[in-house]
Amino acid sequence: MFERTKDLRLSVIKQMELRASKFPDVISLAQGVPSFDTPSGIKRRIELALQKGVVSKYSLSPGLLELRELIEVKLAEDNMFYDFEKEIIVTAGSIEGITATLFAITNSGDEIIIPEPTYTSYREVITLCGCVPIFVGLNEEKGWSFELEKFEKAITPKTKAIFYCNPNNPTGTIYSREQLLGLAELAKKHNLFLISDEVYKDFTFARKEKIFSLAEIPELRKRVIRLFSFSKSYAMTGYRVGYLHCDESVTQEILKVHDSLVTCAPVISQYGAMGALEMAQKDVIFFNDEYLKRRDLICARLDKLKNIFSYVRPESAYYVFPKIIKKDFDFSSIEAPESFSFKFAFWLLEKAQVAVVPGVAFGPSGEDHIRLSFGRTEADINRAFDRMEKIFK
Amino acid sequence: MKFFCKTILKYYLKYVTKIVLAIHRPTVVAISGSSNKTFIRDEIRKILEIQGKTVRANPKNFNTEIGLPLAILNIPSGYNSYRAWLPIIGKAFWAIFQKNFPEFLVLELGVSQKGDMRYLLSIIKPKISIICEINQRYIESFSGMDNLFLEYQYLARQTLQSGALILNYDNARVRNLSKKSRAQVEYFGKTKKTGIFQIEKIEKQENGQKFWLRHENEIQEFFTPRFGEHNIYAVTAGKVFEYILNFTKYEIS
Repeated sequence: MFERTKDLRLSVIKQMELRASKFPDVISLAQGVPSFDTPSGIKRRIELALQKGVVSKYSLSPGLLELRELIEVKLAEDNMFYDFEKEIIVTAGSIEGITATLFAITNSGDEIIIPEPTYTSYREVITLCGCVPIFVGLNEEKGWSFELEKFEKAITPKTKAIFYCNPNNPTGTIYSREQLLGLAELAKKHNLFLISDEVYKDFTFARKEKIFSLAEIPELRKRVIRLFSFSKSYAMTGYRVGYLHCDESVTQEILKVHDSLVTCAPVISQYGAMGALEMAQKDVIFFNDEYLKRRDLICARLDKLKNIFSYVRPESAYYVFPKIIKKDFDFSSIEAPESFSFKFAFWLLEKAQVAVVPGVAFGPSGEDHIRLSFGRTEADINRAFDRMEKIFK
Repeated sequence: MKFFCKTILKYYLKYVTKIVLAIHRPTVVAISGSSNKTFIRDEIRKILEIQGKTVRANPKNFNTEIGLPLAILNIPSGYNSYRAWLPIIGKAFWAIFQKNFPEFLVLELGVSQKGDMRYLLSIIKPKISIICEINQRYIESFSGMDNLFLEYQYLARQTLQSGALILNYDNARVRNLSKKSRAQVEYFGKTKKTGIFQIEKIEKQENGQKFWLRHENEIQEFFTPRFGEHNIYAVTAGKVFEYILNFTKYEIS
């Protein structure tokens, strides 16, 4: 019984949220949810679609043609050329796209390499697909960057893909062009797929240039499966809509799984996604500006707790991943799994009523860290840190 | 209240736009059909820019009763906000006096309800019209394909007699639009037919698509970095457009 699910676990982030909900005055910096409401242009697009009565039926399995056409145009602006008819699939959020991709490209027992710390659900999806996640640690000393030698060492005949999140959740790292090209060389050498989850690509605090993607390189189009979600960039986490793209030889296989899993992405959300691409670019810029302010605020507040935390300043996303450098806390009253970061997170919740995510949830290198989300308002961030400063005194 | 405001805004923008067009007299290129409008629009804009012409094209979804005038006047939308619309209404008026108005307007025309085309063509008079596809997309508000077809037929009829109509020969409904036009008609497509710009062969490559185009016994090879047949059609429509610009007695400026 439950052979397929016995090794799965509920996301630690959700577990923390559940636990936190028992504290009436809790401030949560745990879940990665934007504090903003969905932009009004998107809502208006949905209202119009509802009025026209076009949302009640299934769309084509890969998604509404109009939406995919808009996605092709948007991708071309970013130097990525994909055919909307055969190479783009609208998915029910990026996690469904990831699931469909893994089911399509792997066989049971295959290994998937994931640089860690990274998004908690990757491990679960890989396990669900009957594959084995192989964690390769990122180098915190070098700003959570890749070390290609470690990847090469991790590759075995069973390796099918390298699966990374860029910008990375929870570290907020943007991988450089050189690092990514190095990864591409490895993938070519060992005939691997590269799965690139780019849901935070619209948030770049340094503002130098847009985030480079391996999907821009034509020679890699059969190897790189790129995923995007509307959840973060357009404050649409509840809509569950995203997309993936790759060469048609791969997407047509993924499409079969996508069709079996969900038939199509929710049509009402697809109209929302059209509104996002047509009208919400100004909102994305506004969100980016706000997250930049919040990033600076949360870093300033962390600087005041230098004896407790050290951290790498995030370049993107809305997370910071500080290391807990002070170890002598009294966790005797805390019932938590045998992990320092878990104990610390539970202790913080009880003592300060501040919810954070224990770093170990993001992979072995995440131990001794916590993830703080600055998707929350500045007031929430300040209140959470006021409380933390009090208990650390 | 909302309907009332929208109606006033719609007509205000329409008449301001008509004044602007009457003053500046740009050449209007209309692109319509159920799909492939955006890709053709971008291709035409690119061609004109390469030829050194000044061009204005409608951005993204600015192809309807309110969006089209805004695109012509080159002002943003207030979308759903009354407050945002107030300065835009002022800007629309001042657009009458704008200098450096472009020589060409390359405009996508969106049709989602009966009468949409008639309204849009009460604002602009296209010299060249391009129609690539007529299919079931946007059929929801029409009682059948024949009614949707009537919208495009109106565009074919309203394209200036001194102008040209560029049609996809592969789509039977699009092909039949020629019967309603008084303008020069040019066709493109994959169908083997004398006189048309015929896409002979498409070869998908790692970095794009190569294709061969036959016209009047001449075959030329082209390349696009984009993928998908629709992009080949868009480039081909552009080639027909170039042909018309070069070989007819157009007064471009």
